[in-house]
Amino acid sequence: MSGSVGRVHATSTIHALATAATTLALASGLMLGLGLPRASDPPPDADHVDFNADIRPILSNNCFKCHGPDEAKAEGGLRLDTLEHATAPTKKNNRAIVPGKPGESELIKRVSSSDDDVRMPPPEMHKTLTPVEVATLSKWIEEGAEYKLHWSLVPPVRGELPAVKNTAWCRSFIDAHVLARLEKEGLSPSPEADKETLLRRVSLDLTGLPPAPKEIDDFLADTSDAAYERVVDRLLASNAYGERWVRLWLDLARFADTKGYEKDDRRTIWPYRDWVIRAFNSDMPFDRFSVAQIAGDLLDNSSDDDLVATAFHRNTMNNDEGGTDDEEFRSAAIVDRVNTTMQVWMGVTAGCAQCHSHKYDPVSQHEYYGLFAMLDQTQDADKPDESPTFMVGTPEDKAKLAALDAALRDREAELAASVAKNDATDAGKAEVDRLTKARDAARAEADAQRAKLPSIPIMRERPPDQRRTTKIHIKGSFLNQGDPVEPGVPVAYGNLRENQPRNRLGFARWLVDRGNPLAARVTVNRWWEQFFGVGLVETVEDFGSQAPMPTHPALLDALAVEFMDHGWSMKQLCKAIVTSATYRQASRARAECMERDARNRLLWRGPRFRLDAEMLRDSALSAAGLLSSKLYGPSVFPRQPDGIWAMPYSGDSWVLSAGEDRFRRALYTFIRRTAPYPSMMTFDAGSRESCLPRRIRTNTPLQALTTLNDPVFVEAAQGLARRAVLEGGSEPKSRAAYMIRLCIGRTPRAGEAERLLSLYEGELAHYTAHSDIAIKMATDPLGPLPDGMNAPELAAWTVVANVVLNLDETLTKN
Amino acid sequence: MNLFHEKSHATTRRHFLGKFGLGALAFSLLDGRAASAALSGATSDPMAPRAPHFVPRAKRVIYLHMAGSPPQQDLFDPKPKLTELNGQPCPDSFLQMERFAFIKGHPTILGSPYKFAPHGQAGITTSELLPHFQSISDEVTLINSMFTDQFNHAPAQLFLYTGAPRPERPSMGAWATYGLGTDNSDLPGFVVLVSGGRQPDGGKATFGSGWLPSVYQGVQCRTVGDPVLYVSDPPGMDRAGRRRSLDALRDLNEKQAAYFGDDETLTRISQYELAFRMQVSVPDVMDISKEPPEVHEMYGTAPGKQSLANNCLLARRLVERGVRFVQIFDWGWDIHGTGPSDDLITHLPNKCKEMDRPVAALIKDLKQRGLLDDTLVIFSGEFGRTAMNEARNGSTYLGRDHHPHCFSIWMAGAGVKRGYVHGATDELGYRITKDPVHIHDLQATILHILGMDHERLTYRFQGRDFRLTDVHGKVVKALLA
Repeated sequence: MSGSVGRVHATSTIHALATAATTLALASGLMLGLGLPRASDPPPDADHVDFNADIRPILSNNCFKCHGPDEAKAEGGLRLDTLEHATAPTKKNNRAIVPGKPGESELIKRVSSSDDDVRMPPPEMHKTLTPVEVATLSKWIEEGAEYKLHWSLVPPVRGELPAVKNTAWCRSFIDAHVLARLEKEGLSPSPEADKETLLRRVSLDLTGLPPAPKEIDDFLADTSDAAYERVVDRLLASNAYGERWVRLWLDLARFADTKGYEKDDRRTIWPYRDWVIRAFNSDMPFDRFSVAQIAGDLLDNSSDDDLVATAFHRNTMNNDEGGTDDEEFRSAAIVDRVNTTMQVWMGVTAGCAQCHSHKYDPVSQHEYYGLFAMLDQTQDADKPDESPTFMVGTPEDKAKLAALDAALRDREAELAASVAKNDATDAGKAEVDRLTKARDAARAEADAQRAKLPSIPIMRERPPDQRRTTKIHIKGSFLNQGDPVEPGVPVAYGNLRENQPRNRLGFARWLVDRGNPLAARVTVNRWWEQFFGVGLVETVEDFGSQAPMPTHPALLDALAVEFMDHGWSMKQLCKAIVTSATYRQASRARAECMERDARNRLLWRGPRFRLDAEMLRDSALSAAGLLSSKLYGPSVFPRQPDGIWAMPYSGDSWVLSAGEDRFRRALYTFIRRTAPYPSMMTFDAGSRESCLPRRIRTNTPLQALTTLNDPVFVEAAQGLARRAVLEGGSEPKSRAAYMIRLCIGRTPRAGEAERLLSLYEGELAHYTAHSDIAIKMATDPLGPLPDGMNAPELAAWTVVANVVLNLDETLTKN
Repeated sequence: MNLFHEKSHATTRRHFLGKFGLGALAFSLLDGRAASAALSGATSDPMAPRAPHFVPRAKRVIYLHMAGSPPQQDLFDPKPKLTELNGQPCPDSFLQMERFAFIKGHPTILGSPYKFAPHGQAGITTSELLPHFQSISDEVTLINSMFTDQFNHAPAQLFLYTGAPRPERPSMGAWATYGLGTDNSDLPGFVVLVSGGRQPDGGKATFGSGWLPSVYQGVQCRTVGDPVLYVSDPPGMDRAGRRRSLDALRDLNEKQAAYFGDDETLTRISQYELAFRMQVSVPDVMDISKEPPEVHEMYGTAPGKQSLANNCLLARRLVERGVRFVQIFDWGWDIHGTGPSDDLITHLPNKCKEMDRPVAALIKDLKQRGLLDDTLVIFSGEFGRTAMNEARNGSTYLGRDHHPHCFSIWMAGAGVKRGYVHGATDELGYRITKDPVHIHDLQATILHILGMDHERLTYRFQGRDFRLTDVHGKVVKALLA
């Protein structure tokens, strides 16, 4: 069992310190007492006691809540987060840590005591150190109690490439790091995935869509060494690339089409979403991408696009509920912006410091309100009109709207004049009718033009003479304000540069400054998680003291440095990852590796995990030939069951989009925060009410019901059935094989087509005998049978398609 | 389905955590209960029943939420002094340092137009608007000293159900199923029933899973349309057809499981089988038409209608079958007096009529079936209402504004005292004078009754061990039987 124990290094030395009798108990004790994420990590990477890997997690989890960076707490005057504090005499004149002398260290005495009155942590914490943890602490003190800065506060550097035996396997620096670790553990990587699997994997990862049959054929036919790289370049150059990656960013940006809270009225902000798609597709450097979103309005000569980008932080919620205090919700929005910014770029949970200095990480409450002050000078103030707003469009379109509005005013004036005449004759009435129609036509024309020119909420700074004075909110309450605070940043992460303004722009540049230890690491880790299912730091949302160590620290740093060196290019980052041998491995399990590392944290095989909510829907529609390739524009309303939208004090309703808008990519689906699209929620998407740094994948019966029965997926099955009949050859077996090809991108393995065929034959007999229901199965809701197709046959193929769309491999990136 | 027990290594924790794609975080801080289950190889289902921290008083919860918040002065907390001072300006002290949602200027006192009388052996005094409640008042603990931090609907509902006023954290039912799993895998463990034609003001976050795995989000069961979304087979497919297609799906998925050796595939196969069973069990539990006439008479139910009465009966049917947490929302209690549809005289009695009979029937029905011994029922709004008439824009209708400082809720069933009144308010019902109970205290108490320590039921997110009760809350021992 102890083999599954993770980061608290169950090294032989430490085991020797713990008694044999407790070994079994401590293995389970680790699980029972803490069960921290690290318990499921792969075996440790080192044999010595290391502060960051071994000691900080123990102190952070058990001690920092009362004896950590929160200076106001520091129970008994003791802090354990720095050597200086931990070795200073306490109020009772003890020393928690006496380097080299565990026997004289009060810390060891306290954590190992059996006396409830003496033992730390105290009983009410419900935490007890295991014998291994006590032994680890003792050994560390014996070795001199060396403290180290938290690894994530030290700017990343690219170290030497590690030496590996199997050099032939390595395609890039990524592989050297991965292989070095595997070799150390006595494991070997998996062979490269077959071409069909690899093509589907990389197509899904880069574009969110499975490969089309022709793309499969082309790739199989191209036997040159560069074939794979050509595919990668093609995918990165497609519009679908931005449409896939925008999803990750919109989760972070909490992008939605409504304002949130009770009324949850509509908000026009989709041009921001389109801006993000374009930014991805044009490979806007991530640093520029970041600065534009935080402070695009403050740039010299800021463009229209820079203004649209600032809608990032206007995705905070507005509360239009009757009887709300606007300042309360303006303040809540600033809090959200501080927390979201620190989350997205720094992987820091700053929110803790809203009420008190952070218990684990170096953000004091004063510093938190320094960040608040940075963002506190914008004009928006929870107003129902969303001001300030910006009209998005070309100068020509804007001029046209002005002209149409002028014409409308003329028509209105003419109508008013005619009505004022009060002429009751037939001619008079006819004149009013005519002018009314003219007015309505002019209005329709102007409105149509206005719809092309949406006004969206953006960031604007208040004028210098209207600056707000930011004060500390005592215990986080905006009604209870304390001392004034100047704009600033938490110093542990680096200071603002001298020449930078102390405002949003300075803040934005600080975030993506090369000296910032976190932004690049946090970003490459997020991207890594998208490809491999788990980040190198599993807690992509937390790089702080409570986070587990990276599985491959040197690789994380190398990727971060590489990212910055390549001009923060997101496409280059993607390309580096997908062209690595690590990524290209087959994903089949190998028993000897499963025993050691079932979660594949050491990357002995390629990634295999379920598609996300958006990819599932897009893949099904794509295989069915129904997916629209239309880019951009207002959000759409695909099929949704009745009764989902029934919110208080709102008459708004879901009206099914017409034509191809029913079949747009999932990212264009209208998101109402209080009643999000239900099938996506079932597949772990969020409500976009707040920043969602990580979707935790689940596997539930409600998901099965969705992909089996949701009319969207039934419609896809009907489309897939028709496509197989039209394009899949005349033989039933080749049609079954074609469905597998469309959904999984490969040829059937032994027995698969046969099993589908036997299902088909049974269903054909069933629907031939029940032609009344056959027509429903084949056409509801997709629509009438195409010419020349018969209902029982198509109904039977629809059932088969429904199965193929629900295959584990269809739902999974393999 | 025992498919995932077939593998010999199904008992290691690491394997267990890899299950369901929940990652290591999922069970990270159930302080050992999940891990114990894993060690014993008992199960690896995130909804499997799990032992609480200590012996529970209740196994399950029915939470009846009157969205909008009923006026305590007109239902549960009689204030003769208000009647005496009716129409007079309220004391100045009511207005100092106060924020109101709608009241402007200096409002006048609004006495209750309804008569109060003591009922039952315990002599709990309640309003004439609740004739049926009189017959169960000996079963309940009435708390007249609830208070909250929030005075707008959405934030107050979120605060009540998630411990925080912004939509981000898991809801009470999600915490309960995260901690305890559920007793019937053929039904969702956390069911939500909505009446009054509207979702709660706080939106789906009031029954969401926040950053807990989405498997713990409340599943809305509906009277109109699919009882659970997508539970019905597509038009043109019957049960036998679904079985045939699932047989093919299983055969093919088993091949794929063998090919990839991915346990997630085995889990998926079992989830499809569970889905198939839910397709029968969900419509069955939602079909109240087979209940005998005397039950319909008792609740005032009418099959096929969306009503609080139907939902009360459904709640009984759900807990009877082992559902862990049933959350009911009934919309329409926001008695502002801006018009006839939210007036104290014309509207409130109608809402009470819709509510009183089925709610009393639910308590009696649970009792006669022995379910009240291990089911906790809670009845509340999200905040209280003012002692003053709102008179928004000079409205001549009568109504009360939002009031966070005191309100009344009641609890009945497992774990709580019977025929007991807790706490008191001042003679004008404006502030609490005795035994205040904060929202976080209520949450701590509910978890305690379910056998869980609110300080130990935690989930690590962004490096912090979060709780339903944030960093507050104490169990109100005086409420416990």
